[in-house]
Amino acid sequence: MGQEETNNTGYFKELSKGFIRENPIFILCLGLCPTLAVSNLVENAFGMGIAFFFVLLCSNITISLVQKLIPDEVRIPCFIVIIAAFVTVASLLMQWLIPDVYARMSLYINLIVVNCIILGRAEAFASKNNVFRSALDAVGMGVGFTASLFIISAIREVTGFGTFLGFRLIPENIKPITIMILAPGAFFTIGFLMALFNLIRIKKGKVSK
Amino acid sequence: MTLGQIIALFMGSVFVQNFIFSRFLGLCPYVGVSKDTPSAMGMGFAVVFVMTMASAVTWGLYRYVLIPFDLTYLKIVAFILVIASFVQFVEMFLKKAFPALHRSLGIYLPLITTNCAVLGVAFLNITQFETESYGFAKSTLQGFFAGIGFMLAMLIMSGIREKLEYAEIPEAMKGLAIVFITAGLISIAFLGFSGFKL
Amino acid sequence: MLKDKHLTVTVSPHIKTSLTTERMMWIVSAALIPAAGAGIYFFGPHAALVIAVCVGASIITELFCAVLMKKPATIKDGSAFLTGLLLALCLPPEFPLWMCALGSFFSIAVSKFAFGGLGHNIFNPALAGRAFLMGAFAKEMTTWKTLQDFPDGITAATPLNLLKEQGYDSLMKVFDSHSHLFKELFIGRVGGSIGETSAALLIIGGLILIFARVTTWHIPVSYILTVIIVSYFTGGLFDIPFHLFTGGLMLGAFFMATDPVTSPITPKGQIIFGIGCGLFTMLIRIRGGYPEGVCYAILLMNSVTPLIERFSKTRIFGVKR
Repeated sequence: MGQEETNNTGYFKELSKGFIRENPIFILCLGLCPTLAVSNLVENAFGMGIAFFFVLLCSNITISLVQKLIPDEVRIPCFIVIIAAFVTVASLLMQWLIPDVYARMSLYINLIVVNCIILGRAEAFASKNNVFRSALDAVGMGVGFTASLFIISAIREVTGFGTFLGFRLIPENIKPITIMILAPGAFFTIGFLMALFNLIRIKKGKVSK
Repeated sequence: MTLGQIIALFMGSVFVQNFIFSRFLGLCPYVGVSKDTPSAMGMGFAVVFVMTMASAVTWGLYRYVLIPFDLTYLKIVAFILVIASFVQFVEMFLKKAFPALHRSLGIYLPLITTNCAVLGVAFLNITQFETESYGFAKSTLQGFFAGIGFMLAMLIMSGIREKLEYAEIPEAMKGLAIVFITAGLISIAFLGFSGFKL
Repeated sequence: MLKDKHLTVTVSPHIKTSLTTERMMWIVSAALIPAAGAGIYFFGPHAALVIAVCVGASIITELFCAVLMKKPATIKDGSAFLTGLLLALCLPPEFPLWMCALGSFFSIAVSKFAFGGLGHNIFNPALAGRAFLMGAFAKEMTTWKTLQDFPDGITAATPLNLLKEQGYDSLMKVFDSHSHLFKELFIGRVGGSIGETSAALLIIGGLILIFARVTTWHIPVSYILTVIIVSYFTGGLFDIPFHLFTGGLMLGAFFMATDPVTSPITPKGQIIFGIGCGLFTMLIRIRGGYPEGVCYAILLMNSVTPLIERFSKTRIFGVKR
């Protein structure tokens, strides 16, 4: 992942890799459970994205700060405790700030703690890089995750409810495709978006050849 | 607990609200380890075992330690630590007592720590059965049945993926894309169980 | 494995026999014509439109997908025609036409071509399309047409709907007697999907399939027998004809569950498949939230078909092939 180089070039690369090149959802295929579960409404997706962003940023910064203090053998349990602490903070904050969104998805907010993206970034990046790079990495991955979640939820809400963030886009007399907000719709949306990403990669590969 | 309640729990956790097809829990191991039936079976057994035990342990911990000492806000940290150490303990125990079983399940056990289905069922148990009578039995059973549902989903998907090896899938659909489309179609079939009256 | 020569037709997309895929598809389609005709006769011109739109949209989608995937267009083999026809037959007669087109698109594009086209699909395309429409437009999918022959408007709901929502007594009130009910069900003068109501014509079509050796008896017989046994033990003698002749059971047992691509190859596997279909159908009919379970039961058994094949082939559990 090009983390050996520690010179000052490539900061933007560190930031932008999470957007498309190493997009956590569509390319790395990590952290799928909350992606599918809360993407039926754009509002839910934003709540999830913000909570996720917060936990990823805080845990990446903290872990890169304390990396020297943690013995190698127990690093994974230590990472988990640090992440769990921030998830608790995020969960309590959300309960206080946006109680009705939180009530809908508290289970999945709590489950951020076992989200493979966060533990994966801690293990593969934050524990080996300095604070600034870790923060950039977290912002890139967080934006990539939130944007992907936003795309999925926008597709599902528009087709399944006919609305976007609660505003009606499609007139009432055209019946929305309800199945898109049910479980199968989540699987289909992510399946076809992954196929689209594959298609783009195949096209690019052909051009570069 | 009556037999009817047990059947209701079974139908609910295995079919109506299957952890994969309806609750979206445990998707990473689901798409990761379902390439062939033997490993799907191994992972399935490991998950059934850990989910059952973890449900029992976390419910007890919540009811008899966290609630009395007013520490419920620590539940995320407490549960994840309990599950992680429990998985470690199970691995050591199996290695000593049942080496054959350990050889077949061994590689799947460490993966389970970050399986959100295990932690998910622990959270579901404490929200659903916090004040109910027989909470302990219900939690343990829910963990067991949810694990069975997970295993069923794993086996179905592994069978289909083995068959898809020979299919002429379009280039862009290869890999996880077709796995998700298949999961969507299975989950359409599972919609038939919605609204079950028990 | 294939001891009986006639059984080789069940793997027809892969093995060349005198009975080609193409001929098979057209025989099945022809066997469905009487039931489709009865549907149009009972429910009027809109039913014909539904059939036309489903068939047309299926063929157009098939052409489109074939061009997109750079495969030879396979309209002539009749599989798209058959899928469209089967889908139309399990839709309500008054179903909006754009929804028909969407369902056909889903059947062909998602449940067939995403997996590589005919012969590679895991789920029966027509049933996948129907289940998709049921999830997408639940209200339209359960809005039935009132038959003109019944001035008191009793058949606005299907018999299964009536039983599920208002119980056995209201069903008897509508049809006076058991014999009257069973006669209407057998002929098909009841509310329901276009091609599902006339049990008599579907049985004739199904027998044609078996005698033309397009399909074997294993799946329909084991499926229907399971339904008979379960309905006897859960309801009694009078429940047997009721469960047999209502809903999509005959259409499902003879025309959908027997789809050679999505059901097991071995006779033993086929019998397991049929029993599974029967059990799930009755489970959903008796306990489920939907009045009809045939569609979901067959889809569920489609999904475990690879496992059935795996375990009805190998003798030792879990041994690698």
